[in-house]
Amino acid sequence: MTMKTLSFAYFLSAAFLATASRAQDMPLSQILIDGEGWEVVSEGHGFTDGLCPDAEGNLYFSDVKSGTAIYKVDLAGKVTEFIKDAAGISGLKWGADGRLYACVARGRMVVAFDKDGKMTELAREVQPNDLAVTHDGNVYFTMTGTKEIRRIDPKGVMTVVNAGTVGKPNGITLSPDQGTLAVSDYGGKYVWAFRIEADGTLAHPEGYMTMRIPAADPEVAKGDGMTVDTHGRWYVTTAVGLQMFDPTGRMGGVILKPQEANLVSCCFAGPNLEYLHVACGDKIYRRKTKTRGVLTFQPPRPAEAMPK
Amino acid sequence: MAIMRPSTCLTPFFVACTAWLAVWPLAAQDDYQPGPDAQPKEGVPKGTVTQAKWTTSRIFPGTERDYWVYVPAGHDSSKPACVMVFFDGGGFVNEKGAFRVPTVFDNLIQAGEIPPTIGIFVNPGVVPPAKAGQEGRKNRSFEYDTLSDQNPRFLIEELLPEVAKTHRLSDNPDCRAVCGNSSGGIAAFTVAWERPDVFRKVVSHIGSFTNIRGGHVYPALIRKTEPKPLRVFLQEGENDLDNLHGNWPLANRQMEAALKFAKYDHKVVFGTGGHSGKHGGAIFPDTLRWLWRDWKTLKP
Repeated sequence: MTMKTLSFAYFLSAAFLATASRAQDMPLSQILIDGEGWEVVSEGHGFTDGLCPDAEGNLYFSDVKSGTAIYKVDLAGKVTEFIKDAAGISGLKWGADGRLYACVARGRMVVAFDKDGKMTELAREVQPNDLAVTHDGNVYFTMTGTKEIRRIDPKGVMTVVNAGTVGKPNGITLSPDQGTLAVSDYGGKYVWAFRIEADGTLAHPEGYMTMRIPAADPEVAKGDGMTVDTHGRWYVTTAVGLQMFDPTGRMGGVILKPQEANLVSCCFAGPNLEYLHVACGDKIYRRKTKTRGVLTFQPPRPAEAMPK
Repeated sequence: MAIMRPSTCLTPFFVACTAWLAVWPLAAQDDYQPGPDAQPKEGVPKGTVTQAKWTTSRIFPGTERDYWVYVPAGHDSSKPACVMVFFDGGGFVNEKGAFRVPTVFDNLIQAGEIPPTIGIFVNPGVVPPAKAGQEGRKNRSFEYDTLSDQNPRFLIEELLPEVAKTHRLSDNPDCRAVCGNSSGGIAAFTVAWERPDVFRKVVSHIGSFTNIRGGHVYPALIRKTEPKPLRVFLQEGENDLDNLHGNWPLANRQMEAALKFAKYDHKVVFGTGGHSGKHGGAIFPDTLRWLWRDWKTLKP
């Protein structure tokens, strides 16, 4: 074939494709790698939870049931106690100020640990489950029992930014541009999207993503921990597995659980943030993917288009 | 994606050849063009098209969207008129697009082949970003692919009453049609399925009767529901999508079989195209003739 013919074919193809589908399809094959299954990262815990990465890709997690510390998995895979005397934690995120924010479910507090491990209380007499921390220093956290989403602003003032929309608000995460907050429902079947207003309040809730539900319990997906990737795809742990949604809220697939246990937290960590990590019962697992995670303490940026 | 992107076709050369072979037959098979009824004709008066924005939706809070209203030439807006709603309306109202609906309406209304009809062309909503540099929330899939009464209610409770402030619309459900492509196609069916008391005419091109948000169940629902008094037109292409949500040609065949089983007034046209509006656009005047074939017996 001559180059001239090729250009002509390209021209015709482009003319045809200009009218083709506008919404990009995002199957699991864009994420999962053949032959790369789940591998155990850490075991022997009670009830793992609270996964989050730092800028280097180190992983942090907690053990809500029997843990006494915040644990760290470094890039070599070594597990250590990162902060001792930190029990009953159900959510963790690094902030842009270099502090590690935590939901202390058992202690009914939201706290932040500085780099020396010194703990500062940000809210007390609360029932926090999980949290998201924006680049500009807003902490949003879920209160599953009272159907609330609360915010602690950069000055430390706590307000209820939503009450009653989500039946059992649980997992919480941000779009890559930090304009949308997503909250999963542990007691229903939707992941709710909210617009984050310029003043940090939440507006326009919508049951944007419909989770797959287990046949045994057709109203309850058990939506739990959430994360996003650089393309703006959403991930939520549920009863049937880790569900992936495309940026327009269309379900893209269910990634199977590594073992039959509670799947409650997920994030991308490890080298280049390419490893999807989950907390599933007594173990932490990971698998290599074709995509990468987003660090919410870094400046927001638009979701990347898929390579053509 | 079932379809290769152009940039993939260029490098390296080997890939280019492979991609060319994959794309070339599709391009040839999808070579449908708008026909003479989509061209302005001498002596046929042109209707008016007015653009507006809807920013106060209660059913889809926070969304904003454009819509356009077509009014036939010489129309008396104090008299009730038939109405046809188009989802993804910006594409249908475009005079250089595959459908060119205002021109087709001008010609067919003038010829008496369809009733004088108010065309409402509405785009899907977007929750605009709160800050510069953010993307906002695209609401198209939520509005179009969800099987619920939300999008029908958006038309019936919000958009139609707004248009009716200026142009009287018929209350006769047989005088109300709804049309769309892809997710807009299943959305059109959902409107009539949910509210046959308000809309009874459906046109779907390359309709997404697949599992984007559960729409694959329609054939099953149609078979096991007392037939609703709808008239349904489906256009589909043999080379349409086969992806994670489903297989479009098979899904439309399932719809066809279910509509036939349940004895619906329906027509299905299969072509050789892919996931584009070109075939639906090329045959659209004939689609309208079929849809409105007995319009003179209707009281708007």
